[in-house]
Amino acid sequence: MNTLLKKSGKNLFNSIYIEENAYDYPITRMVLEKFPDVPVITIRNYKDIFNRGNQCFQLQKHRQSLILAVKSKQFLYKSPEVCQDFGYSNFYYTSFILNCIFNCEYCYLQGMYPSANIVAFVNADEFIDEIQNTLAGKKAYLAVSYDTDLIGFHNVIPYWNFLQDFFAQHPDINVEIRTKSANEVFYSEIQPAENTVIAFSLAPQEIIKKFERHTPPLAARIKAVKSAISRGFKVRLCLDPVILNSGSEKLYEPFFRNLFAEINPDKLKDVGYGFFRMSKDLFKRIEKQNRKSQIFADDYTIKEGIVSYPPDLIKMVMDNHLKVLQEYLPKEKIFTL
Amino acid sequence: MIFIVTALMLEAAPIIDYFKLKKDMTIHPYSVYKGSDIALIVSGVGKLKSAMASVFLYNLYGSGKNDVLINIGFCGTNSKRFNTGSLLIANKITDIDTGMDYYPDVFFGEGIPQIPVQCYSKVVKSTDLTEQKELFCDMESAGIMEASKKFFFSHNVLVLKIISDYLEPEKLDKAKLKSYIEMNMTILDSIIKEMKHLNEGFIELNLEAEKDLIESLCLDLRFTQAMKVILTKEVKRAGINGLEPLSSLKEFNGIKADSKEEGKKYFEYIIKKIRQKSV
Repeated sequence: MNTLLKKSGKNLFNSIYIEENAYDYPITRMVLEKFPDVPVITIRNYKDIFNRGNQCFQLQKHRQSLILAVKSKQFLYKSPEVCQDFGYSNFYYTSFILNCIFNCEYCYLQGMYPSANIVAFVNADEFIDEIQNTLAGKKAYLAVSYDTDLIGFHNVIPYWNFLQDFFAQHPDINVEIRTKSANEVFYSEIQPAENTVIAFSLAPQEIIKKFERHTPPLAARIKAVKSAISRGFKVRLCLDPVILNSGSEKLYEPFFRNLFAEINPDKLKDVGYGFFRMSKDLFKRIEKQNRKSQIFADDYTIKEGIVSYPPDLIKMVMDNHLKVLQEYLPKEKIFTL
Repeated sequence: MIFIVTALMLEAAPIIDYFKLKKDMTIHPYSVYKGSDIALIVSGVGKLKSAMASVFLYNLYGSGKNDVLINIGFCGTNSKRFNTGSLLIANKITDIDTGMDYYPDVFFGEGIPQIPVQCYSKVVKSTDLTEQKELFCDMESAGIMEASKKFFFSHNVLVLKIISDYLEPEKLDKAKLKSYIEMNMTILDSIIKEMKHLNEGFIELNLEAEKDLIESLCLDLRFTQAMKVILTKEVKRAGINGLEPLSSLKEFNGIKADSKEEGKKYFEYIIKKIRQKSV
């Protein structure tokens, strides 16, 4: 269990905002039981809180509040181009939660939302209905831990408990749950399934320490990966985003070798690999917040509206990294972007 | 700067005494009292007056992102959960006239009960109430919130309410009310310290000296606007990386470029200098 969730509810959330029409849902009742000491504030619409002006994202990040809301429209979105589609043309994502309990310095959510508070939608059934209406019968790929970390949040709201039966009945819908969490309890509580992939985001420990605040250390995440594999889950490793900052590209080869010394590559479904990248608009918005961020002060190239490292540098580093990765995995198991 | 807005002199007096604030005699529309980093204004009763006074105070002394706006005043309630004189923090303010809700981010005052406050345009009496719902009523908070939306971060506005009565305004006693403020002064002081501390811990990179120097270099060396933007970004980057961009900039202070071409050469040289770690 990550250290954030080990804290008492009082420390985990500054306040709990609840939409008037969100009270009568099992998720809301569950949260209220779990955090009896946190001040509760009734609101009309989550946007009244979430979209306020003059919110300080980084300060709120240290004192996050939870907003429980009822989502009213668009439960599914087509995936943007900057994401790996793993070969699926019907690639969708859904957001049961907006924002994440972690605070990674490179995270695009800082520019996407005006608030660092976490919005959790309580009408999971309506999400499921919409997924069924849109995707049932199609060979589809659905990212369910998008704009958040569903497993990292499992101890607050166990969304997967509401979802696993539905996905077990729809084997054509392939589900990816991406996480940085080391919450091993998750893998003992839920059932593995053929159409469900747990995608672990991993990085060298130095990168985690420097840029992935509040996330579990690499060793804990590797332990969770092993635990998921041993319980029969399909596992993907996401070596993404690769950060090239002050010579950090050199950290990756030993990191890869250590990773595959610990984790049997034959047991993996596949591996995703990609560099730090972000849409120009999001990048500018985060840069404007004037934080003391090294990542957002670095030199980048803008190509087709995406901010990333210069293509020559990407090619050189990627060639070197892929050489190492291909010592452990066949080419077709490595997806790059 | 900490800005405090109270409706009445009765509410202000104990705060003025506690922080040893001095009346600013140059200001006439309002009574304004000032210390080194605290300014207090007596707004008069009502949300319009509190909004006007908040903006007036901000225009006088406002300096930037870390300014804090605090409203301290009385509220009436029909709830017997709290004694009169209890200090409460508003975590939701509803303007009864417009139906608009306001939400400050309450990061301070651990242990102080939080309540929703209803802001009315006139004094509320228990005999006016038609429903039994718990109410906390005041007359200034909505004005404070509306004004703060423009100028303050949502965590830097705080509405502190002290229970004056159980919606029986005819029974109010001035001496008692003053004592309610007095007995809460140490808590107010500690909240102000908390707010300052939080903002200090979140200070942005201070590059004020560099910014001034960039301005003069751009004029003297005939830099274009685009060059100024690049130079500013380079200076920020150097600051984040722990270098000392100021010393690099200083080397070029006082130099004049005779042409844009010459300026361009200086520009490239300055950028190169800033990027050198050994500067």
